[in-house]
Amino acid sequence: MVQPPSTFAQYRVLLAKDLRQEFRTREMLTSMGIYALLVIIVYGAALALIARDVDIVTMGGGLLWALIVFTSLLGLGRSFAHEKEQGCMEGILLVPLDRSVVFLAKATANILFMLAVEIIAVPLFYFFFMTGQPAAATLPAIVAPLIVGTIGMAGIGTMLSTITMNTRAKDVMLAVLFIPLIYPLLYACVTATTAAITGNEFWMDFYIMPLVLACGYDVVMLLVCWVLYDFVVSA
Amino acid sequence: MNAVEARHLTKAFGTRKAVDDVSFALPEGAFLSIFGPNGAGKTTLLRVLSTLARPSSGEASVAGIDLKEKPDEARAAIGMISHAPMLYPDLTAEENLLFYAQLYGVEDPQARVSELLEAVGLSHRRLDPVRTFSRGMTQRVSIARALVHDPRVVFLDEPYSGLDPHAADIFDQLIESARADREDRAFIMVSHDLAKGFSMCTHALVLARGRVVTYAPKEELDFDEFSQLYRDTVGMGVA
Repeated sequence: MVQPPSTFAQYRVLLAKDLRQEFRTREMLTSMGIYALLVIIVYGAALALIARDVDIVTMGGGLLWALIVFTSLLGLGRSFAHEKEQGCMEGILLVPLDRSVVFLAKATANILFMLAVEIIAVPLFYFFFMTGQPAAATLPAIVAPLIVGTIGMAGIGTMLSTITMNTRAKDVMLAVLFIPLIYPLLYACVTATTAAITGNEFWMDFYIMPLVLACGYDVVMLLVCWVLYDFVVSA
Repeated sequence: MNAVEARHLTKAFGTRKAVDDVSFALPEGAFLSIFGPNGAGKTTLLRVLSTLARPSSGEASVAGIDLKEKPDEARAAIGMISHAPMLYPDLTAEENLLFYAQLYGVEDPQARVSELLEAVGLSHRRLDPVRTFSRGMTQRVSIARALVHDPRVVFLDEPYSGLDPHAADIFDQLIESARADREDRAFIMVSHDLAKGFSMCTHALVLARGRVVTYAPKEELDFDEFSQLYRDTVGMGVA
């Protein structure tokens, strides 16, 4: 009656459940989207006072990543809310499956949700702050650091969200652990994004190298998360 | 073969032993009720036996499968019903059960889910989100979830909490039907309700401060003496 399914089949079932639940409630997407919009409004208010003296093109990469980091924190903090509230995480852990699959499915869902919000937030950011500014021909190259950074942040955030799920001040704990851990990735992605926006002439040093480092960081951290996940959920 | 076996099972959190050197063997088809005061270690024992927590020392097996050596095989033989329903409130009853059925790899999950929803009397609500259900109905879906892969051992962790008398009666009937469905299926229930737990069980175990105070088949126990022993034990737990 029961035929143990493949790991990939279980991954698909877990991911489909997360997507179905989110499309039904739109909890994460709505809260992250509104938060991103609010950050843009705050940027607008803050920068409007000093607009003439600010080189918004040079600051664009940093501002954009600050928006992404804070928006992600909000979403990642909510990503295990349903599993915890009704004991569903225990329901999943009772199933004979490789527990790393739970991590992989949840991280994939978080990547998709974060990218969905970025698809709205990044053009909005461009529209509000960078229209009328001289755009570099390399501007479309911001897509690569955005994807690499999002994958790393979603992976690390999923792991930390699991660790902090049962702590008392989980939102603060998540932020306290998340930001130092993603700092190298963030630094590399801000550098590469800024290079793409400004069209930096030292393309290899300011775009390719940071991007390679970010990719390396993603691979190492995601592997660590993958390997440690069983221990984390069991503890 | 024993359905569940624990040998010198210990689970410690720091220096505190929540489960302390617990040993017992429960035969197939039996129903064990575990009693004990708050903090006696009942839920921790259930969590260790259901693979949700790792023991600090000792060994345990479920359906003859060693929990340490083959945890995944053991999990396939375990079903769990607790006060938390382990259901996603925004998904429908059918979607919740299909989710678990597919994770376990149940052959023809749709047919199995329909059969279970029929058995728990909720096929007419199969397309409604679980958050619209009463506590009793949610617990009925929870029974279906726990039985979706036809487990050989079912753990029940205070399953009656929050149920009104009518819902509790329906729950009793469903548990009886789950017992009748499969003769070798064993149940372990943690309960504070001495009369109900004793009436349902074939074996009884009293736990206090993580240790087994008594473990015996029901036919060897007299309810009045057992009640007195339990009251003494509760006093001991509080002291």
